[in-house]
Formats: sequence, C-alpha cells, structure tokens
Amino acid sequence: MKFVPDGILVTFEVTVLSIVIALVIGLFTGLGRLSSNRLVNGLASLYVEVIRGIPLLVQLFYIYYGLGRLFQLPPLTSAVAAMAICYGAYMGEIFRAGIQSIPKGQSEAARSLGMTPAQSMYHVILPQAVKTILPPVGNEFVALLKDSSLVSILAVADLLRRGREFASQSFTYFETYTMVALVYLMITLFFSKLISIMEEKIRAD
Amino acid sequence: MRTDTRKTMVEMRGVTKYYGALKALDNVDLDVYEGERVVIIGPSGSGKSTLLRSINRLEEINAGTIVVDGFDIYDPQVNINKVREEVGMVFQQFNVFPHKTVLENLTLAQIVVRKRSRKEAEDIAYALLDKVGIREKAHVYPTKLSGGQQQRVAIARALAMQPRLMLFDEPTSALDPEMIGEVLDVMVNLAKEGMTMIVVTHEMGFAREVADRVIFMDFGKILEEGSPEHFFVSPTHERAQQFMRQIL
Ligand SMILES: Nc1ncnc2c1ncn2[C@@H]1O[C@H](COP(=O)(O)OP(=O)(O)O)[C@@H](O)[C@H]1O
Ligand SMILES: [Mg+2]
Repeated sequence: MKFVPDGILVTFEVTVLSIVIALVIGLFTGLGRLSSNRLVNGLASLYVEVIRGIPLLVQLFYIYYGLGRLFQLPPLTSAVAAMAICYGAYMGEIFRAGIQSIPKGQSEAARSLGMTPAQSMYHVILPQAVKTILPPVGNEFVALLKDSSLVSILAVADLLRRGREFASQSFTYFETYTMVALVYLMITLFFSKLISIMEEKIRAD
Repeated sequence: MRTDTRKTMVEMRGVTKYYGALKALDNVDLDVYEGERVVIIGPSGSGKSTLLRSINRLEEINAGTIVVDGFDIYDPQVNINKVREEVGMVFQQFNVFPHKTVLENLTLAQIVVRKRSRKEAEDIAYALLDKVGIREKAHVYPTKLSGGQQQRVAIARALAMQPRLMLFDEPTSALDPEMIGEVLDVMVNLAKEGMTMIVVTHEMGFAREVADRVIFMDFGKILEEGSPEHFFVSPTHERAQQFMRQIL
C-alpha cells in the first residue's frame, strides 16, 4: 500500500493550509462580530450564519464547481479555499469567545495608557485570549483533518482518494479501507493526545 | 476667590450621561486646576466612577463638554489617544497585565505608545519601581504579587507615561486593610511632588492630608464642595451629613 505516505502528505497539506487560512479568517470574523460598527458586525454575523447553515460538502461543490471553474482555480486551491471558508466561520466564534473571556478592565487599562484599539488587541487582549482559544482550535484542527477526506470527491489526491484508486485497481476493498481508516484513526488519536497535553500545560500555568 | 492664573487641567460643563433611562451624571460642572488634588466622595452609585471615567473618555457622555489639558476631548479633530497619554488612570481592580512581568507592565505603553527605546523605558520603569518600593519584583508576573503590590505596579505603570494628570478610582477599596497604607503612601508622595490628582476614595485620612478640595456627589450631581475640614466639621447638605456619619 504505497499510496499511504503520499496520501497522508496531501491530507496534511490540505489540513494545514486550510487551518492556517481559517485562523486568519477566524480572527477577523471574531473581531468583526465584536465590532461596534454595524456594517462590519452585520457582515461577520451573516458570514457565520450562512456558513453554519450549509453542509460542508455542499460548500465544497459550490466553491469547486461554481467559483473554482469560474476563476480557473486548481483543485487543491478550491478545496483549501472551501475548507478554510467553512472553518473560518467556526474559528470566528472561537476567537469571539476567547476575546470576550478577557475582563473589560484589561482593555480599559490599555486604552487609558493611550493605546489604540489595535494596539490593545495585539499587545494585551489576544496574548491572554490565546489560552482560551488554543484548545478549541486544536479540536477544530482534528475535525478539519477528518473533514478533509471530503476533498477526495474533488480531484484532490488525498489519503482517501488514493486509497479508493488503489482499492479499485487491486480489488482489495476491505483491506485498503481498513488501512485508510486506521491511518486516519492513528493521526487523529495522535493529535488529540497532543492537544490534551497542551491543554494540561495551559491549565497548569 | 479663584486664582485664574492657574492653568485648568479639566474643565467640565453641563456633563450629562445616561445609562438607558438612568441619569448617571446630571449636568455636572467641574474645574480642576494644574497641581490641584481633588478628592471625590459619595455613596455607591452616585456617579463618581462615571465622572472620573468620562474625563479620559472611557465613558461617552450624552451632553456637555469636557476639556482636558486644553483639548476638547469630543472635538473630532482631537486624537483621544494623545490625550490619554497625558492622563494616567488607576482602577479599583488594578487591571495589571497578567501576561507581562512587572517590568513589562511598565514598559509596554512607553514603547508602543510613547515610542521610547527599550533601554529608556526600562530606566524609567526601574526608577518608578524604586519609588513604589517593588524593584525586586521587576521580573515577577503580577499575579504572584499581593493586592497592594499589584496596585503599586498599576500606579507605576500609569506614571511611566509621565502623565500630567492622574485619576484614581477607589484605588484601595479592593485591598485587604493591612495593604491600604502602602498604596496611600505612594499616592501621598505623588501629591507632594505636585501631581494633579483626582481621587475617588473614602479614605478621609488621605483626603485630609492631601486634598485641596473635596467634592461630594449624589444622584449624579455635585451636591457640595469644600475643604476636607469642612466635610469633617460642618457639611451643609443633609445627604453629605448622612454620608460622613456613615464613613467616619
Ligand atoms: N455600564 C453601566 N451600565 C448601566 N448602568 C451603569 C453602568 N455603570 C454604572 N451604572 C449605573 O450608573 C450609576 C452610577 O454608577 P457609578 O458611576 O459607577 O457610581 P459610583 O462610582 O459612585 O459607585 C449607578 O446607578 C450604576 O448602577
Ligand atoms: Mg465607583
């Protein structure tokens, strides 16, 4: 089953790229949801609600076939875009909750020293919010890793897709899919463990 | 008689502030002169914090004008962050930055707001830590400190900006009794150096020692104003009499 290493690599590629972009989208969405600017706030809320109301698979098709074809995007790009846009909405809620978990006195102290809202966010609020934000982000990472198998339906050669191709050539469906499932299981168990160790460390501080 | 040669640090005119239907500040006029020490007293909920916080625009007012150090803080041309650089604030709950060491608490705004070099900021910070008596805690995280020490860090943090005016909102109310003295000492020294200070506190000993003027607030209004002695001996307003009986 030579497909496994290459498949894992593509799965990781999709997952890592998606999560990084989702984090950026999430940060701005979370800030938008907390903005007192009605337009910004409205747009961020609309984004979160629309994304949460549509199944990921439908979003993938929409971006891949709809937008991806329109703009001639390569499959990996469309797939990553779709995953990132979807997870960005969830990340937005995580960032929002994390920022809200910091007492108001912190930003008031920062502002009273003459910091701008951006300086206060960057130097005072976010570094503290990270503790609250990291564990759920870790969970999203694992969820995204699993959901990334959906991109196999598109022309992205991830672990599942390569497994499917291998199985249909060798007619070893049971063995191949058992292998694929086990590989996913091992990877997610590994990261879940890593995340809970990280959570422990944060709590110990 | 008013000595009008003195510079006005804070000038409030007709300041009114609502929280929903509740009038937290009701048409307040107040002048505070450079070098003056004003103590604000009054029952809980009388609007003391709201008044103080409106001076650096942590609270937005609904009517009136506030001029701080010559700047109308509601003038769209005026950068409120610039005004805040000159106005230090000390909170009841300290609000030290828990993710920064004591030293970093003092240098952060100096570096990012005042644009000082790290070296310059640290020199200023160490001098202030000496002054408030916690230099040996420079590299400790403030959550490891007692309340009194945390509040001294907060005062030093505000002073590191070298402000022209200091606002204190019940700086000793959250402290255990045995730590009140160490914080008040720092404030008394600051007053002796000539800092302009507006202090919300019920520490009448402090008021007696440093206050040029005591202001009594109730129902969002300034009901009475006078020397500390005046309030000890013969407050005229009935609410002020009641209040003084309660706290003494
Ligand atoms: N953020 C707020 N939202 C609603 N009401 C508030 C808020 N802050 C203060 N108030 C109300 O405004 C009044 C004045 O409050 P405050 O200025 O904090 O009084 P003090 O500092 O004298 O105790 C009180 O009745 C208080 O409940
Ligand atoms: Mg108060």
